[in-house]
Amino acid sequence: MRKYFADHLIPTLYALIALAFLYTPIIVLMVMGFNESRYNTLPFSFSLKWYSALAQNEVLIHAAVNSFILALITALICVVLATMFVLGMKTLSRSMEGLFRSLIMMPMSIPWLILALSMLLLIRFIDMDKNMFFVVAGHVVISLPYAMLSLQARIQALDPALEEMSASLGASSLNTFRRITMPALAPAIVAGGFLAFMISFDNFAISYFLIPAGTSTLPIEIQSSIKFGFTPEINAISTVIIGVSLLCLAIVGLIMGSSIENMIGGKKK
Amino acid sequence: MKRKKKLLTFPSIIVLTVFAILPLIIMLVYSFQSDSGAVGATLENYTNFFLKSVYLKLTYRTIINSLAVTIISLIISYPLAYFMAKKFKGLKNIVMILILIPFFTNQLVRVYSWLIFLQDGGVLNSFLQSVGVVEGSLGILFTQGAVVIGLVHAFFPYMVITIYLALERVDNAVLEASSSLGASKIRTFFQVVLPLSMPGVVTGIMIVFVPCLGTFVEPRILGGVNGTVIGTVIEDQFFEIYGWNFGAAIAFVLFAMVIISMAGLSRIGRRYDNE
Repeated sequence: MRKYFADHLIPTLYALIALAFLYTPIIVLMVMGFNESRYNTLPFSFSLKWYSALAQNEVLIHAAVNSFILALITALICVVLATMFVLGMKTLSRSMEGLFRSLIMMPMSIPWLILALSMLLLIRFIDMDKNMFFVVAGHVVISLPYAMLSLQARIQALDPALEEMSASLGASSLNTFRRITMPALAPAIVAGGFLAFMISFDNFAISYFLIPAGTSTLPIEIQSSIKFGFTPEINAISTVIIGVSLLCLAIVGLIMGSSIENMIGGKKK
Repeated sequence: MKRKKKLLTFPSIIVLTVFAILPLIIMLVYSFQSDSGAVGATLENYTNFFLKSVYLKLTYRTIINSLAVTIISLIISYPLAYFMAKKFKGLKNIVMILILIPFFTNQLVRVYSWLIFLQDGGVLNSFLQSVGVVEGSLGILFTQGAVVIGLVHAFFPYMVITIYLALERVDNAVLEASSSLGASKIRTFFQVVLPLSMPGVVTGIMIVFVPCLGTFVEPRILGGVNGTVIGTVIEDQFFEIYGWNFGAAIAFVLFAMVIISMAGLSRIGRRYDNE
């Protein structure tokens, strides 16, 4: 009996409480999006009015589209940069490789606030106006480490003998890349791109400091509605985002299967 | 061929150098310029910062808040990670997925969800009123407490993952060896499991404490006027006061705090790695 308590009941209860803490506010937010009340308060009476208001809110929709395009461009650039890097990485000397890798990972450990405003100062230093180029550059800097994590784990697991074999069988290096290396890296490229997309899509700090006047992204719109009197339209769009993210996550999870697991466990090697 | 492949690493390095290293250097340069328009390098921004008790108090508060978030996260995360690694079997993966899912929800949305949950007259308030725990309004929102709750919520899942990965690597045979040599369960835990999982704990602390130092959105939204921390002061310098050079100096102080805590923590981490 005591063993049952220690091995099952207490751990399960503990996990349930922790998960309740994690999910309660999110669920409240989602439920309140379907509530009549303007102030997110009880009693609950079902209504879809915030969703129909959202459908007509062009500012929010436009911002969401901006965020999507920005995240897509960021993810593409990150994936290309990260793939090139891991392919070239092995030819570097050990100390060089370590240096380069810590340089790329650096933005993970510096508060984004600092990176954002140092880029703002760069723009002022070269006497330019804020523009989308710097927004994309900032997003690439902070998203690249995540794409890199995914690709590094994969390339370390890739057997170099495969490439050698292909070469010794007479395949050109381009052919080897196209037929052997690329397919082996593909799942990690998808996962890395997905991570970079999510980081960029969610990012507030970089966009907030660098975005030119008159343009906005979804996080910026959400922040300003929170600041200047929010409405449950924010709940509605949040619910839509959560839904879409989960759908993407499920699709990527299905395509990738174990390689996400590889990535999380990848640090072991 | 080898030379050509080496070139593949350069684009990433160039991007990082131009858009991360160079800006930080420029920020350092600006931090030694006066906001009053005087020409030439000056220490005035830094002396202003360190001589005014307001800023020192805010620095202190930022550190205390981040420490509180880290400690609470540790209290939640360690047992959870331990149960996942050592007690749960099939349940483990489900719990892991449930912990990962909120990562894919917007961070601002999560902060906002605490705002509507904790507000006076909000869901928690109504619930506690109906149970009879609280009369009238709750008064949690717009305090430091609300900020800490929101930040713990945002960061503790990272810690669960790092500690879980460390505990997963602790071989069960080691635990059996310890108990067959006569050690009690508690002794096994403190002398075997805990030291072996320390690298994960240290990484977890790093991954929670350091970003907490630089937060400015969560303190603003959940803390209101009581939420002022270094991050919000920096934001104000850039968006309200236009004291950019002073802002750059504060940002550099923050940067220094980040570097120092990272260096300190990785030193501690290395000690455990060697064992």
